[in-house]
Amino acid sequence: MKNFNKKIALIAALACAGTMLAGCNSNTTDDGGNTGGGNAPAADGGNAGGGDSGNAGGGDAPAPAPAADLADDGDKLTILCWTGDDIDPMIDYFVANSDYTKDQVTWVQVGTSGGEAREQYQQYLSGGEDADLLILEADWILQYLNDQYTVPLSSLGIDKGDYSNAYSYTTAIGTDESGTLRAATWQCAPGGYAYRADLAEQYLGVTSPEEMQAKIGDWSKFEEAAKTVSEASGGKTAMAATLGGMWQVYQYNRSQPWVVNNKVVLDNAENFLDIAKTYRENNWVTDVGQWSDAWYAIGQDDSTMGYFFSTWCLGSGAMLSNAEGGEGGATYGKYNLCPGPSGYAWGGSWLAPSTKCNNKTMAADFVKMFTVNTDTMKGYALSKGEFVNNKAAMQAIVDEKSNSNPLLGGQDQFAVLMDSANAIKMDGLITKYDSAIKEQFNNAVTDYVDGKYATKEDALNGFQDAVAAIYPDFDWD
Amino acid sequence: MQSLKPMGRKSISYAKYGYLFILPFFVIYAFFMIYPLINTFVLSFKGNGAAHAADSVGFQNFQWLIVGGSRPAKAIHDEFIQSLKNTVILWFGNFIPQLILSLLLAIWFTDSKVKIKGTGAFKVIMYMPNIITATSVCALFFILFANNKYGAVNAMLLGAGKITEPIRFVNNVWSSRFIVMFIQTWMWFGNTMILLMSGIMGIDLSLFEAANIDGANSSQVFFQITLPLLKPIFIYVLITSMIGGLQMYDVPYLFHEGNAVQTHLETAAVFVYKHFHLQDPNYGYSAAASVLLFFITGILGIIIYRFNNTSDERAAAKSNRKKSKNAKLLGGF
Repeated sequence: MKNFNKKIALIAALACAGTMLAGCNSNTTDDGGNTGGGNAPAADGGNAGGGDSGNAGGGDAPAPAPAADLADDGDKLTILCWTGDDIDPMIDYFVANSDYTKDQVTWVQVGTSGGEAREQYQQYLSGGEDADLLILEADWILQYLNDQYTVPLSSLGIDKGDYSNAYSYTTAIGTDESGTLRAATWQCAPGGYAYRADLAEQYLGVTSPEEMQAKIGDWSKFEEAAKTVSEASGGKTAMAATLGGMWQVYQYNRSQPWVVNNKVVLDNAENFLDIAKTYRENNWVTDVGQWSDAWYAIGQDDSTMGYFFSTWCLGSGAMLSNAEGGEGGATYGKYNLCPGPSGYAWGGSWLAPSTKCNNKTMAADFVKMFTVNTDTMKGYALSKGEFVNNKAAMQAIVDEKSNSNPLLGGQDQFAVLMDSANAIKMDGLITKYDSAIKEQFNNAVTDYVDGKYATKEDALNGFQDAVAAIYPDFDWD
Repeated sequence: MQSLKPMGRKSISYAKYGYLFILPFFVIYAFFMIYPLINTFVLSFKGNGAAHAADSVGFQNFQWLIVGGSRPAKAIHDEFIQSLKNTVILWFGNFIPQLILSLLLAIWFTDSKVKIKGTGAFKVIMYMPNIITATSVCALFFILFANNKYGAVNAMLLGAGKITEPIRFVNNVWSSRFIVMFIQTWMWFGNTMILLMSGIMGIDLSLFEAANIDGANSSQVFFQITLPLLKPIFIYVLITSMIGGLQMYDVPYLFHEGNAVQTHLETAAVFVYKHFHLQDPNYGYSAAASVLLFFITGILGIIIYRFNNTSDERAAAKSNRKKSKNAKLLGGF
């Protein structure tokens, strides 16, 4: 009897172990449910990254997909998204500027971050529930630009010709491998350097964004300025907020994509390791992590001169506002914007009609209002502070001088970023591996700066190993 | 004879309903436990990345994880071995202090000579950390030990002039491991303590009385009576904690700044999760690592069980008949 009991006990113990494996397969999505997201976007950005272009590959492209025949008898226009930050104001604007009522439009929250939405959209779309439009992030948009999940925009009666005013990189990212346009974005995402005007006057003696730009126009000038600021402030004020932010600017100026002929190309990444180490050792950049609570705190206590912010950080209620402590905050309105050491673009979200779209007219009206119609896009740019994806609308706003951002002390961020926006070029520089590779590179930079890697070679090796573990198919020398 | 027959039929029909009632459990168990278990074994022989997810690769995943080879194979091998090392380090670092602490408290709370007042309240308070979710606990420790001057501990040390530069508690290898070990210990010692207390309270009181009358001191009572008779519960705690330790996931996974798990905190379970939640998931690696963990758990379980078995018999032979009989009666494991 004793032995029998012990056998039972052993079986029970093994069954417990068994559930461990079972957990791996069935439960882990739930486990991850609360972990990745929170209120902070992932390090690569809630709106992050370069993104994927369908036509990077070239070769014999298959024929463009024909327009799908969509139903038009749906109940409500349903949009899938993971946050209300963008979609709530958009729906309000849509209702205010059309004959539709608010109860005809709704959005469904899927996941709490872009990364979770990427996993959970598939599940949602395979179910029986309604989904007319999807919001997709640059980093993983390619996964959804195919017949399984989305229909060509031509199904809504919108074609490439409608986007003559759009910034060309945005249509390139929304186009799939066969050259079919499946997604369009309402925003263009050039970025600049938002700096503390009061500290800049105190430490660098500059009184206008133009003078500031002259002081930090390229990376060597930026470094000079960092040195000056650090000395003048007694090491209290760091020129840049985070290495993550600097990296976004720096990596945008790569001359080659991350992966060429199935091999990882470092390009200028190697230099960034040196820059990161130098900046950190001299306290020219703070030690806080991108998107953390401390990241916002340094904006109010003179710890940093400024942040690298993309347009979607500059609107009301966005990152700049948080960094100033909101209205009435310690540094509210004390920031100014200049283009920074080099132009760059950072992230963005796209709208795509789903295969289950059954509100054809309304979906078309929605997409047109935010991505095609110059008048409504201009209105939205002014009401939300969004850099909209329409050259004519943006030019009109800048010419009229009708935009004034209280977060920037009344400065017009659109005027500052116009040139950067026109210069955005991502053709052939983006691959579907980018977000994972950039994440690994960021880790390597952090670990190198923290001293976990003794030399730069170790850091590069560690980075390449991490990429090799994730993508076993790459070739290595 | 005639009267017996209908009675027999009646009891059989009751049993049939009994099976019907327990059927849902087995159906759900088969669907959510047995099928994923089998599927994990199947996946462990498949390729990695969406393009190769359906290809059969034989034992390649196992070979790469265990032996290494080319650059990607070596990379994944190094990562897997590091994750096993991390698991062992974090497990030892939380299990040993946890066991010592809970054993000590269990003995104090059950000791009839010490007679601590309000043991109920103590038990509740000590069990409390266990009912807070790991996410909240991690968030709490994250705020306390943040990398920069805004973290509570760094702020205090800086304010007191003990350090001039903030310590990177979250990113440094050993400080972050130590914090994770502490969180695990803090969260689980109450649970272990209650288990051990129930074991100690199951020991026949007359044995303690007899020892007292014979003039045994506290340590003699502990080593000669409490510990040997507590062994079955001890083995249970050891096996469950070993399984729990090998599956350690939530705290190491959550404790990082930025969005990537730190390599020195990546446990085996985190390794499994990480590789099948990639944008281009490596199901093969994850499944193979799960299968390996399954066998490691099984083998360790058998070793602990065997060890217990033989030492039990040796003890039985050595000690007097009455004592070993008692141990078996009370063991009930």
